[in-house]
This record gives sequence, structure tokens and C-alpha cells, in this order.
Amino acid sequence: MDVVDKIINRLGQDSDFFRYKMMLSNEPVLLLGYQSFMSVAESINELHAQAARVNPSEHDGHRSRLMDSIGQIIEDPSEDLIVSLLLRGQLVIWFESVDAFVDFHPYSKVLSRSIDAPVTENVLRGSISAFVEDMETNIGLIRKQAASEDLRTQSYGLGPDRQKQIVLIYMQNLVIPNLLESIVKRIESNIGMNVQNLQQLSAVLGFSKWSTITKFNTTELPQEVERALQKGKVVILLDRFPFALIVPSLLTDMFAVENDRNFLIVFTYLTRLLRILGVLTNIIIPGLYVSLVSINPDMLRIEIALTIARSRMDVPYPSLVETLLLLLILELIFEASIRLPRSIGPTLTMVGGIILGQAVVSAKLVSNLLIIVLAATTISSSTVVGFHNSLSIRLFKYLILVLSALFGLYGLVAGMVVICAYMASLNSFGIPYVHIMKSRGDANG
Amino acid sequence: MSIIGLRVLPVIGITAILLTLTGCWDNKDINHRSLPIVMGISKLDDHYHIVLQIPEPSQQQGTEFRLVKASGATINEIVDRIGANMETQMDLLHLKVILIDKAYAESGLNDAISAFLRSHDISPKTMAVICDEPIDQFFDNIQQYSKNNGTLIQDFFRANAGWSPQVATSRIWELFRSIHSYTRDEAIPIIKSGKGTIVETRGSAIIRNGKMVGRMTPDETLMTNIFSGMDVKGKIEVMNSATVQIVNNRITNRSSIVDGRPLIKSKITLSVALLEKKGQPTQDEIKKELQLTLTERFNHVLTMMKEEEADILGLGQLFRNKLSRDELQKWRTNYLPNLKAEIHFEVFIENEGDLKMDA
Repeated sequence: MDVVDKIINRLGQDSDFFRYKMMLSNEPVLLLGYQSFMSVAESINELHAQAARVNPSEHDGHRSRLMDSIGQIIEDPSEDLIVSLLLRGQLVIWFESVDAFVDFHPYSKVLSRSIDAPVTENVLRGSISAFVEDMETNIGLIRKQAASEDLRTQSYGLGPDRQKQIVLIYMQNLVIPNLLESIVKRIESNIGMNVQNLQQLSAVLGFSKWSTITKFNTTELPQEVERALQKGKVVILLDRFPFALIVPSLLTDMFAVENDRNFLIVFTYLTRLLRILGVLTNIIIPGLYVSLVSINPDMLRIEIALTIARSRMDVPYPSLVETLLLLLILELIFEASIRLPRSIGPTLTMVGGIILGQAVVSAKLVSNLLIIVLAATTISSSTVVGFHNSLSIRLFKYLILVLSALFGLYGLVAGMVVICAYMASLNSFGIPYVHIMKSRGDANG
Repeated sequence: MSIIGLRVLPVIGITAILLTLTGCWDNKDINHRSLPIVMGISKLDDHYHIVLQIPEPSQQQGTEFRLVKASGATINEIVDRIGANMETQMDLLHLKVILIDKAYAESGLNDAISAFLRSHDISPKTMAVICDEPIDQFFDNIQQYSKNNGTLIQDFFRANAGWSPQVATSRIWELFRSIHSYTRDEAIPIIKSGKGTIVETRGSAIIRNGKMVGRMTPDETLMTNIFSGMDVKGKIEVMNSATVQIVNNRITNRSSIVDGRPLIKSKITLSVALLEKKGQPTQDEIKKELQLTLTERFNHVLTMMKEEEADILGLGQLFRNKLSRDELQKWRTNYLPNLKAEIHFEVFIENEGDLKMDA
């Protein structure tokens, strides 16, 4: 059984796999490929046009010149190699008479969106093009943005059949050598593992499974990638994943985006300060409410103590329970608004925000003040940069809440210490999470 | 045991300890606590009589308050008894003012003050105030006047609310300190219920070793506040010529022992703003008048201190490094009456107001 039959055996049952016999400059050939990747008719036209350019009069070596001119002759054709070419969307031409394969680049169909504005990160002043699913486009965007001869890309096929492509991008002269070395080593030793999602990629890179802070900083913007490369970080692109993954992700990535620097420097720092305040508000406020209401009311001024007492009259549950109750509803609203189609979103906001909020107060289930507290919490949970970071913050809030309910303000402070200690304990490839990375080799600092 | 077991078990253990040993189930929410803000104490024949003013949050606007009265042998016992009868938990942490009956203050406060400091329930920052009329009467009058303001007595003494520089401030920890210190006594404010205004200030009481031994007028209280370096913005009427407001005051003291007699030289620098004047006094006249008035007032306070042997200005503090501990012990009796004070007031008229001096 020769190679062609083996390939046809393996892929033949796919409905979009085609075998097409035809004559190309009097040579009988067999075209193999997936019609979902290419437009077949145009590819065949192109093939004929290229073949016609080869002068058929000279008989000697006509076949080899023909093969040369239409594509790349596959040396030492193995079944696996050809299958992988086919799966990547190439058209493979088998010359029956000499049993040789030629790899032809067909008219491919566009299977990606065009470059568009980012979906998860809004840019107010700065470059708006965002990454798309197609990896080549993404690499192109980065090359265009970085415009540097030191930019290196390194491609790996991962997975049991080495089909899933990931690309490492770094600046040759700026990258932190240990970082690059360890990432390459990890990828090479785990090359057989699947990477269909970030959990699997994180397993490939050997990150701890149960960490509550992400080790990848994801971004849709080439501008952010450029800055990360400048700082000596390594960027990973995953095929069909419209985000660049920046390793390592640091604490500063929670508060700073490169786009801040498109504003005056005063506002850069003020907005970053605002984000820090937002994160602190989100983490502390629910716990503060519970501890002040049930454990340390003596810390309040008497007027506010009385106001809270008045607003809590007839509220049946202890403050921890009422806080958890409303927080749960808020988390549900969060989750639901991600799931819902865009057209139904506003309805949910209205029901959740206005109707539920009003009803829950007049039904005396929770106190007025708690509504304010939770509104502040919800709003501030979105000031942090990146949705992946806001998830961590949302989780930490509960640690503080529980500790506050147990120990009051003392527990709140202890919880902050625990969170700080946890962050300080994290590191990726030897770079501590709380490290502040300076831009390297930047002429204007 | 597996690695996971080694990691998970301590976490489970800590969580179990957290949940079982904290005692958090004893915490009561704020709406299940009574937060009295004023406590009135009087003593009759070895029996304390206590009135608590407890704000009551109500669904209507404002805060009403209720008065709870009880008598008994010790303060804590009475409070406990009141708490047992209330539908909420008694929580004295928000107590802001302790109102002491004058007769009780004259007989000595030592037991009550040490009881307050001994028990955790009351903040040492609570103000001590003397009431110039029977406690029950005071509270009854107050209740008539103010239905909706549960915090008015507290506001009267709060620096960022109704406090004025003619009113002495004294916390119970300061009273406690004065009881046990050789060289410092306290002045505490005296109030009674007023007509028109709800509370009326009646000067301050001189407390010596926990006993009320004399009283000062509001003007003299302002003097002591200036001397203790408080940032007072008080207004002083200069006899016959003007009224000024103190905008800044600074004091430097130097102390020495001369021939066994304590000598204190103080320089008090006052920046004042002119508010009102009578006739056409010159700046120098106003300054001189002011110096004279203040020196007179100060000397009067000093004379009173010497008579009562009560060091409300804390002058003895300045001699702590000059006298031995045994000598300090006799500060009030042997040294204070012989104190020689040279006080110099330096006055700057910083501001003539929006009009020229001779306008």
C-alpha cells in the first residue's frame, strides 16, 4: 500500500475531503485537499495557469520543471507529514507517474474575522486594532507594531499529533534569558500535551493548578504586547485564540495598561491610583460593613451607627447572611450578563438593578446601606484591568468577608495580610508576582 | 499520606479551628444593641442612681431617645440590671458623656472613675461633665426640649460641632490620671439645662484628687484652655475698649526653683483679630488693656489654685525634672501655694477686620 492510499484511507471518510484526478500539462495528477479550506475551482485554474507557463516543447526534464514551478516538492514524503499539510489547508498534488508529492498553496477561504476593534478592552485614545483568530494576522500585527529586527518568533506544534500551533514571541536583545529558556524547556518536554484552552497551556508550562491568580496576562491589543516585549516578557500566541498571552503576569498588570500612557502623565498616575482604590474598595467594603455592623459598631460615629441601626430595623438576618445573599445575587447578575445575548442585556440590568434592589429593601430583607455598599463593590470590581484579574479580586472579597464576620476589623486587616502574603508567595519562572518590571533598553525611559 | 493530603489537611484543620473557636455567634448586630450616649450618675446614701439616655432609631425621621433610670449598689450592677430588662443588648461603648451630679462630685468620684476604667465597657475617651442641677430634673428638661436629637449633649462637647473654647474638656482617663498624679488636677465643665438653648454652660469645676473643690467662670476656663496650649478661637472682651478674637496662641514655659520656691516664667503669644471696638482706642491701648485683663484673670485662677491646692494647669509637670519624687508628692501642699509666676502676655493685632482701625 503506497502513501496515497494510506492518506485516502485515513482522511477519505471526511465529507469535505476531495480527491480530484486531472491532467496537468499532459501529466496525470491527483489533487488532495479539504474543500472547506480552499475554493477548489479557483485553485485549479491557478494551477493550470502556472503549468501553462512551463514550456511543454522540451521533453527532457519537463516534468521536474513543472513540479518545481507549481509548488514545493515534498522530499521524503511520509504519511504523517502530508496529513499535517492537508490539515493546515494545503493542496497536495500527487504525480502519479513518478509517485511524487507537491505542496501547492491554494486560494484559501477566509475563515477569520477581519481586524476589528477590541471586544473586551476599550481603547479611548490609542491604536484600536485587536487580535483575531488567525495567528498569521496576529503575528503580522505584532511585527508591524514592534517594528524591530530583534523580534523573534518561534513556532511549536503541540498535541498528540503536533497539530496545535503555538508561537513564542520575544525580543532577542531584551528578553529575560532565564524566562525564555525555562518556557522553551517546558514546552519541549511537554510537547505531546494538548493545548485547547489556557488550563491546558498552563499545564504545559507547569503552572500550579490551584492558583487563584492567573499566570497569563491576556490582551487583545498589539500595543500592550509591544510594551510587554520591551520589558523582556515573552508573548505566547495560541492558534485560533484572539488574545496574546503575556508571561509573566505581574501585580502591576492589574493596575496599569500601556494605553494609559497615551494621556498626560498626571492622568496616567491618577487613573492608576483610581484603579488601586477600586480594587481596595471592592475587597474591603463588604467585610468592613459586616464588621462595623455586627462586631465593631464602636468604631462608627454615633450618628451613622444610629442611621444604620434604623435602616436595619426589622431585617431578619445577621449582617453576614444578608451580605452573602445580595453578593450571590450580584454574582448571578454578573454571570448572566455574560451569557445573555446583547439585546436582552439591558432588561437584565433593569430587573437586577432597579426592581430587585428596590424590592429587596422595601421587603426589609436587607438594609439600605448594604445596597449602597454592594453597588460600590460591583462598580469597583470592574475598575481593575482585565477580566481575569477581576475574577481574583472578586474571590478575595469573600475571604475578607468571612474573616471580618469572625473577627471584625482585626480579621479584615488579617485578611489583607493573608492576601498580600499569598501574592508575595507567587512567582512564575523565578519572577515574583509583586515584582515591578522596568522597561529595558528604552531610550526615553 | 499523599502530597495533596499533607496540604489539604492543615487547611481543613485551620478552617475548623476558625469556625469553632472564634465565638463569633455571640456578636450582635447593631440593631440589636442599645447604644446609650449619656449616663447620669448621682449618689444618695451609698446608693448610685443612674440615668441612661438611649437613642431609639425609629422609622420616622430623626432619633428619639428614651431615658432609663435605676438605682443600686454599684454602677456595673445597675447597668447590668437595666440591660437585662431591655429588649436589646446594652452596649456602653458608644457612651460619650458621663454626667455627674454636683453633690456626688463634691463627695469624691474615685470609685466611679476607677470602675469605668477597670471595665472594658466604657471608652476612656468619654467626657466627664458635672450637672449643676439634680440629674433627673436635667434629663426631664432636656427631653421636653429636644424630641428629635438624640445626640445633642454629645454635640455640645464635640470640637467639630458645638464646643466652644470657654468650655473645659476632660476625659475620664484624664480624671483618672489626675486622681493618681501628684502634679496635675483637672477642670471639668459644668452644665445645666437652659431656657432657649437646651444646655447652658456654667463654667467649670476644679477637681482635686477626684473631688470637686471649687469652680471657675467660663472666662477663666478660656484662660486655662489657652494656657494648656489648646487651639482656641475664643473671643475676649477687653474692658472698655474692644472685643477681640484669638486666632493663634503659643506658649513657652520656663521653670526653676529659687530658694526652695518654684518659679515659673511663661510667655504667651496671642495673635488676635479685632472684632468690635468702643470709641477710638489705639492699637497700643487695646493691647495694654488686653494684657491687663488676661493677667488679672490668670492671677485670679492662680490664686484659686493656691487656695484649693489644686493644680488644674498642670504647672507641677514643669517641675518633674527639678524635684525628687518625694518632693513631688508634696507638690500640692508645700510647693504650689508658694509658686511664683511671671506671666507675660504678648499680643499682636493681626487683623483689624474689614475696616481700618480709625474708621
